[in-house]
Parts: sequence; C-alpha cells; structure tokens
Amino acid sequence: MSLQQMTLLRREVLTIWRDRSLRYILLFGALIAVLLFLAIYSAQVIKAIPTAIVDLDHSNTSLELTSYIRNTENLQVIAYPQSFEDLEDLIRQGGVVTGIVIPENYGRDIALGRQTRLLAIIDGSNMIYATNASSAILTIARTIAAEAGIKTLVGHGVQYSDAQAAYQTIDFQEEPWYNPALNYAYFLVLALALNIWQQCCILSACMTVAGETGRASWLQIRAAGFSRLRLFACKAVVQVVAFVLVALPVYLLAGMVFSIPMRCGFLALLLFTALFAVSLQSVGTLMSSLARNAVDASRFGMIIALPSFVLSGYTWPLEAMPRWLQLLARVFPQTWFFQGLNYLTFKNPGWDFMSRYFLALLAIACVCYSVAAVAISHNSYRVRRAGS
Amino acid sequence: MRQVWGIAVYEVMHILKDRTLMLMVFLVPFLYAALFGAVYASGVLTGIPLGVVDLDHSALSREVVDTFGNAQHFQVVPAVATYQELERAMATGVVRAGVIIPVNFEQQVSEHRLSQVELVYDSSNLIWGYNIRRYALTVINQFYQTHAAANLIGLGFTGKEINDILDTVSLNTEIWYNPALNYCNFLFPGLILLILHQIGLLSIGLTVTREKERHCWLHYLGSAIPRWKIVAGKCLPYFLVNFCNYALLLWLASSFLNVDIGGSLPLIILLGALYDVIITSAGFAISVRSSDSLVVTRVLMLLSIPIFFSSGFTWPLAYMQPLLADLVRLMPYPWMAEAFRLVSQKGAGAGVIAVNLLVLGIMACLSLFFALNFSKRLNSWRVRPQDFYCNDHARRVSETGGVSC
Repeated sequence: MSLQQMTLLRREVLTIWRDRSLRYILLFGALIAVLLFLAIYSAQVIKAIPTAIVDLDHSNTSLELTSYIRNTENLQVIAYPQSFEDLEDLIRQGGVVTGIVIPENYGRDIALGRQTRLLAIIDGSNMIYATNASSAILTIARTIAAEAGIKTLVGHGVQYSDAQAAYQTIDFQEEPWYNPALNYAYFLVLALALNIWQQCCILSACMTVAGETGRASWLQIRAAGFSRLRLFACKAVVQVVAFVLVALPVYLLAGMVFSIPMRCGFLALLLFTALFAVSLQSVGTLMSSLARNAVDASRFGMIIALPSFVLSGYTWPLEAMPRWLQLLARVFPQTWFFQGLNYLTFKNPGWDFMSRYFLALLAIACVCYSVAAVAISHNSYRVRRAGS
Repeated sequence: MRQVWGIAVYEVMHILKDRTLMLMVFLVPFLYAALFGAVYASGVLTGIPLGVVDLDHSALSREVVDTFGNAQHFQVVPAVATYQELERAMATGVVRAGVIIPVNFEQQVSEHRLSQVELVYDSSNLIWGYNIRRYALTVINQFYQTHAAANLIGLGFTGKEINDILDTVSLNTEIWYNPALNYCNFLFPGLILLILHQIGLLSIGLTVTREKERHCWLHYLGSAIPRWKIVAGKCLPYFLVNFCNYALLLWLASSFLNVDIGGSLPLIILLGALYDVIITSAGFAISVRSSDSLVVTRVLMLLSIPIFFSSGFTWPLAYMQPLLADLVRLMPYPWMAEAFRLVSQKGAGAGVIAVNLLVLGIMACLSLFFALNFSKRLNSWRVRPQDFYCNDHARRVSETGGVSC
C-alpha cells in the first residue's frame, strides 16, 4: 500500500471521527437500538390476553365452563361484567381483548340435551392480540364442542368409549419450526436493530461525495492531483470496515448475551453483513453523488433507508405483496439482506440457496458504484466547463 | 397580522425554491403512503404454500389433504411428497406449512386408536407463523366436525340427530372492528400518522437551522418583530400543509385502500389539529435550538422505526418493560395513535379518549411554550461579518468556507 493511500485512509478515519454527530450515531446508534428493542420485546410472547366472561346463567355448568376458560393457556380472565353492554364498553375502551358470553339457561339446556350457543367476541383492532386470541378461542371451541357432543352421545345410550372415539381418534399435533416458542424477540429484535444500523451506515455513506465537495479542502485535494477513483476507494474501504466493526457488538450482544438464534454461525453472518455494508456504502455514494449538498444527500439516503424495512418482508411477507412491488423491493439491498438474514439466522439453508443473496448484494453494489462514478465525472465536467 | 403573513410568504417561497424540501412536504407523504398501501393492499394472507407428506395414501388421508387443499387460505404444492422434500422446501421458503400424515393412519382410526397428524409451519417470520396457525385451526375444527359426523352415521344416527349432537354447544366467534383481521386496517392508519410525524418534524426542523446557515437568522433576532409572530409566520405554512396531508391521506386510505376510518369527524379533526400543533411547534423548538441542519436531519430520521415499534401500536405497551412504557408515554405518537384507533375503528366518543385529548393538549401547550421561548438577545448567537449579508454572496462564502473570497 502506497503512502498516498495510507494518507487517504487516515484522512477518512479522521473525517468520520471529527464529525461529532456522525461519530455518536455510528458508535451508539445500533447498540442503543438493540437494547431498546430488547426492552420492547422483553415479554417475547403474548400469553395473558385480557379476557372478560359474562355469565348470564350462574349455574354449576356455567361455573365449570368459566373455570375451564380461566385455566386456558393464553387467556387471562380479568373481568366478569354483568351484562353484554358492559362487555361492549370494556372492549371498546380496550380494557379487554376477548369476551365470552354464556347465555341464560346454559346449564339447563345442556342437561336436557338442547342446543345452546356461546358467543366469543374478539377485538380485531390490534392484530397481534387478535390472531393469538382467535387461535385460543378456536381451541376452546373444539374442546367444548367435543365434550358436549360426547355427553350427548352418552345420553343417547352410546358407550362412553365409542362416543369418545367418534370425536377424538385423530389428533392434530402442531409444531412450529425454527422458532418453536413463536418468540417475537427472536423474530424482530436483531432485524430491527440492524435496520437502525443500516440507517446509520447510509447516513455516513451519504457524506462520501457531498461531504468532500462541500468543503474547502476539496480544492486542495483536486489541486494535489489525487485520482478520484483512489480517493473514493479509500473512503469506501474505511467506511465499510467501520460499518462492520459497528455491527459486531450488535451481533455479540444479540447472540451471546440474549441468545437470539444464529443457526448459520457467526462467520457466515459476518461475511453476509460485510457484503451488505459494501452495498450500503455504494447506495450512499450514489445518493451523495446525486445530491447538491450533505443535507440533501442524507435526505435522499433516508428516503430509501426508511421504507426499506416495510418492503423487506419483515412486517408483511414479500410473497404477499403485488408482483410489481416485489420486483421494486428487490432493487434495494435492504430487501436482500433482511430476507437473507432471516434465512441465515433461523434456517441456514446452505450455500446453494444463499448464493443468490450474496450475488444480488454484489450486483447492486457494482451498479451503484458505476452510476455514482458517471455522476461524479459528469459533475466534474460541468464544473470544469463552467470554470473555463 | 401583516408581519406574520410576510414571514409565512417568505417561508413558502423557501419551500418552493428548495426542490428537495418541496418534494418532502408535498410529495413524499403521498409516495410513502402509496408504497405502504401497496405493501398491505392484500391485507390477508391467502394461497399459503402447503406441502403434504401423505405416507398412508388412504381415503381418509386424502380427506385430510382435501380439507386443507380446499381451504381458502392454503394452496397445496404438489412438488413436495416426502419428509426430506418438506424439510428442504420449508428451509428455502418454497412452502410455509406442511401436513404429515403417518403410515397406517386410516387403519388406526378405524380401530379407534389415536392417530397423530402433524401440522408444521414456518415461524421464522411470525406474520406467517401466527396466521398459518389460526387458519390451520379453523380447517382442523372443520375437519373434526365432518369426521365426527361420518362416525355418527356409522353409529346409526340420522342426519337431523347428527346436526343436533354436533351443535349441542357451539361457540360463535365474532371479530369486532376488523372482522377480516386485515393487516391494512390494522397498520395503515398508524403508518400514516408516523409519516406525518416524521415528515412534519423534518421539514419544519430545518426552518431556523437553514436561516442560521445562511446567516439570516440574525435579522429575525435583531428585528422588532415579537417572538410569537416569528413562530406563527414560520409555522403557519407547515401547519396548513401538514393538516391538508392528514386529511388527504386519510381520505385516500379510506377511498382507495378501503381502510375502515369511521367515528366522529369532529373528533378526528380535533385530534389531527392537536397532533399537527405538537409536531409543528416541536419541530420549530428543535430547529431554533440546533445549529446544524445535518444533525437535525440525521437524528430525526433515525427516530422513525423506534417510535413506531415502541408506541404500543403493534406490540402492546403492557408487555414492555415498565420504565420503557412510561418513557414512551412522553411522546405524542402513542397517544395520538391510540386515540385515532379508538375513534376511527371503534367509534369511541370524547369520553373514552378524554385522557388522550388531555395529554395531547398538554403536549401541544408545552411544545408551543418551548417554541415561543427562544432567546432574542444578539449575544446569544455568534456574530460574524458575513452574518450581516443575506444574499447569494453570503451563502457562497458560507458554503465554500471562505475559499471563493
């Protein structure tokens, strides 16, 4: 490595370090993010869904049912309103998410073998609660129907074992793969923290060109006769190394301290992250070369970085988006990274499958650097022409 | 009023002259809303790829497969036939769920021995995981009913008797406020409020820093114009544009994405106005205390994701660390998002959201207080020769750091 390159590398390190806000953002942004998201998802799963039971019957049978619901996993009975209207108000105010109404004469109807209908109400306004509550209610519905059916069959003179066999010979075993506890912290914390990290990286990379040309020292650099390729290559190397170094404690904290799964192993993940850092640097350089000044460059970069998480398939599956949007989302390196991250950390499907993610990030970096080079050359030509 | 109007017109000219700012104020909110709208347009997961490993190949196993195959939300992928293929397909995302029917399944059932069918699903992404679980439970309940009915026929019951027995106790489930459990209804209003929050803060957050960088803020400080007029004039354009964006985005969401936005219109307007006052005045207060547009841009942009995910809009506040939940309540977004959901989706009245209105009102007063209380003393600001110029020359001097001189 020549002395000139060493000087340029050292200069870039100093440039990042002297920009106080950027320094703090890079050093602490992702770390604070990982701790924040761990605190948000510290409960990990939604279990005690607030539930109310309106018992309009007050019979022994209804009390048995109430007791059964109280012991159900995922539902936590916290209120016993006296009427349907009270339940309605409770749900509207967000006091409970689920309400179960036991009708009048419930016990008598069961005893006489008459049909009776329970009502379950779920507040669908928060889907995190609603999907869990809905599953819990479906399980209760099946159990209650089967128990009542068996009792009725026995009442009709059918042997208990035959009655039980009519209902319960098939058992559907549920097995969630890759994240058996359906843990939200495993699913989201690392991805969200890395999303903040990629935003910090983009902010830093956006200074690559705009940060230089906006300074007086730019004239000195031009006068010194440095090749633009060498200058920006040195800047890119320093930034990519810095980005990877900043990501390291995030992985260490998430993996070692908080046991977030990383099935692919640390090295593969680091290599994938390094490649993503290169593509982020290329996107930042491109934005920087198109912008008039550093503020505009940051805005351009963030206009891409902000919605990328929604597009990346973490909050809504990529496959469920319209076809044209799937193609658009794949233009962004963030989509490839977060999809790849999910596969690597949970499934580790092997190089055959993952190679496309590595190659896509590389291709995006090549395209962005090429366009940025053209834009920088064009700008220089314009400045020279204006000068002459 | 003429002074306020003059400052407001000057600010509008700035917005129109700065192309990036103009795009951010007028276009980016709609661009983001259109993008997020397109993402959540389908709202409900359908055609979930399902792999079936049928090791029995009997009439009963085909019945199980058909029940899943005919379900609205699942689509059987024929390429998967063995357990290894299912494992590989799950690992590569070709299928997201699988049903494994064991050998001798039908025989065991006919002998009244308990037989296990395994339902596996991909929970690496919990949007898939939880929805597949819910849909699968619906299908399983339906299968149980059909299967029990078939068994009862075997026991010699008539059709009417079977219906009576199966319906002895039925649990009717009603889902209120979002009956189809549509993700667009759930997330889109919250995302609109976040877009307004961030774009609003970011545009007005640069209004004073820009003046400082162009060395024109000194003229405001040195003038006899009272502070409230400076704040009013500077904030007015952003307040109006933000409010128009709020109304337009809600109308677009309701008209084109069929997002359920009902409830009391005056309450929705009141909430929007309070939220807008908070954003605009907080943005001004941040701007007046910052020296650098770049720092404001960087910090405000980084806040978007943490604000949304910590707000309780998706993950309930009750499940967060108590200290964090208390800190979150210091921000306007969680109160606004909660109140907006209560009014627009649940049709809540002023009584139900009284606390939210009160807190938002207090926040509006506080942010106005901080916006209005900036120092107008000249020595509070570093004065340099070029600060007395407010023209292209001064700007050129500042941008080139003196080189062009």
